[in-house]
Amino acid sequence: MKLPTGLRVALLAAMLTLAANLAVVGFIRWRTHDESAGLVHRQVIEEGSVLDDVYATGDEAALRRAIADILGARDPQYFAALLDHGGRPKAGNVVAVEGPVNVAGYHVGRIVRRGAAPVEAAYTLRPLAGGDWLLSGRSFAQRVAFENTLERSLLLALAISVLLGLIAGYVLARYVDRRVRDIATVADRIGDGDMTHRVPLSGSDDAFDGLAGQINRMLDRIGALMEELRLLTDCLAHDLRSPIGRLRARIDAAMAAEDDGRREALFAGVVHEADSLMRILTTVLEIGRAEAMAPRGQFAWLDPGELVAELAEMYEPIVEEAGVALVLDRGPALLPLFGHRQLLAQAISNLLDNALNYAAGGELRLFAYCEEQTMRLGVADRGPGIAPEDRAEARRQFGRLNAARAPGGAGLGLALVEAVAHLHHGQLDLGDNAPGLIAALVLPVRGRE
Amino acid sequence: MGRKILLVEDDRETADYLVRGLTEEGHSVEHVGDGREGLFLATGQSFDLIILDRMVPALDGLSVLKALRAASLETPVLVLSALASVSDRIEGLESGSDDYLTKPFSFAELLARVNALLRRSESRAASADHRLMVGDLEIDPLARTVKRAGRPIELKPREYRLLEYFARNKGRVVTRTMLLEQVWDYHFDPGTNVIDVHVSRLRRKLEDGFDNPILHTVRGAGYRLGNPG
Repeated sequence: MKLPTGLRVALLAAMLTLAANLAVVGFIRWRTHDESAGLVHRQVIEEGSVLDDVYATGDEAALRRAIADILGARDPQYFAALLDHGGRPKAGNVVAVEGPVNVAGYHVGRIVRRGAAPVEAAYTLRPLAGGDWLLSGRSFAQRVAFENTLERSLLLALAISVLLGLIAGYVLARYVDRRVRDIATVADRIGDGDMTHRVPLSGSDDAFDGLAGQINRMLDRIGALMEELRLLTDCLAHDLRSPIGRLRARIDAAMAAEDDGRREALFAGVVHEADSLMRILTTVLEIGRAEAMAPRGQFAWLDPGELVAELAEMYEPIVEEAGVALVLDRGPALLPLFGHRQLLAQAISNLLDNALNYAAGGELRLFAYCEEQTMRLGVADRGPGIAPEDRAEARRQFGRLNAARAPGGAGLGLALVEAVAHLHHGQLDLGDNAPGLIAALVLPVRGRE
Repeated sequence: MGRKILLVEDDRETADYLVRGLTEEGHSVEHVGDGREGLFLATGQSFDLIILDRMVPALDGLSVLKALRAASLETPVLVLSALASVSDRIEGLESGSDDYLTKPFSFAELLARVNALLRRSESRAASADHRLMVGDLEIDPLARTVKRAGRPIELKPREYRLLEYFARNKGRVVTRTMLLEQVWDYHFDPGTNVIDVHVSRLRRKLEDGFDNPILHTVRGAGYRLGNPG
């Protein structure tokens, strides 16, 4: 059987209050029982010894007077008597004793008084001269009545507390249920595809608000990723249209071409277009893999100085051919880097390609140096640079600042560099070289264990 | 000189295309469509080269490769794969393959790589004279010196390595990506024609002052070091 959450929480709260109150009530009951028993015991012994004192200082007549005096006070719980050696009452308000009658000390038994029903009682017996006994005692009736009242009150308190527990539990459950329901409603709506909903905050800054805040942040991130993905697929679909269009046009032209030389030239163009299409797809894939952190398993320790030197050596001829000077700028005390040599090389080669494409002329600086906790690897050029407001667009996959600037580029270069930076727990930093662009992978340096 | 090649490829069209092309080159090609059969054949017969698709049914390519290497079969293996990212290529190479080619590829690229691998298994056997001779070009890998028609040619270290790689594949087509992978050890595709510029520099040093060209451009494929023709 499945109970509603509210009812279950209420029942649980009631049960817990019941258990807690039972413990308290039990303790009170146990303490008062002992206490009242002790009280009767002490009173009986005290009153007995008072009468005994009267007898010790006076005689039997004084004792009889004393008994009559005390009984004259009409305490319904009290009784006193003189018993002969056979246990038969000679004076006092006792008719018969059901219990020991000729053993000195404290006893519990049943006492029959004149004109009353027998009662449970505690009494003392003290021997007197001539084989007589002095009996003095108290009935338990008061104590029993007191205990009964106490028990009734405790039971009532218990019942009230269980009821209160139920109510408190229900109120609490309603509150929790409402807060949880808010979150569940949002989750349902998101599940139905509407990403705009967010969990409302109560403003009390409690744990539920904390949870709601976390969920909202998560939803923001998911929303941003979905938007990015949507944009990416849109761009991919859009950007692939033009190379595929060119491919088609060249194939058509080649099929229509009359002379063999021209046809061959057109087919070479077809192959070239197909290759650049493949390159776009491979790069998109590479960015996806890097952002998913898949290639971390292939990380190894490498010397960043050597990495940039190799790339400088590789690019030196082509840079020279473009009429640009390539400067290799390696900082002192370069720490080793734990990373992916291939992807880092590819990222830096993308930066070099960009610098060559956009920033022809002047000087091209390939640098690697350490700064406190970070390492900066990158390229600085003397080209037109990228305005601060355009930098976000420049990082985006298929982001293009303007079509004229990127002859043949698919706008993936910096996106891949940024993905590689993320893969290495770092960032791509785009700065001003005044004039020109500084593009650097800023990577955290960590010690080799 | 026909060689025995095992092709493990499940895609019918690619397989037919490769079998036809390689047979035209004079090789005898055995084709199977799944990994288990491929492993069975590879361990049962002796081949000069295995071309292995990474994703074939029954037993995937890399597992076949691991099983072959575990059985200490040192036949050169060329892995073909649609998995094109740099990390996939590295993984493929680290699992014991001798070369890794991503689909789609041109037949010229595949043939160049096949020839390079066949040449490697050949030269393992015979190399008494350590010098490499290509026409009137003489390369001493120990001293790292190069002479053409007796005249010494000064090369930078990278140019020397480039030339040595060409010389070890003399007369055969070498593609740009092969150069990038073998000479620079980079497995990505640079957007610019960096390799071409290196090759044309090397060519200038080899051919300046000599009448006959020795480093040829093969259209649509790559380069070839050797006598014309």
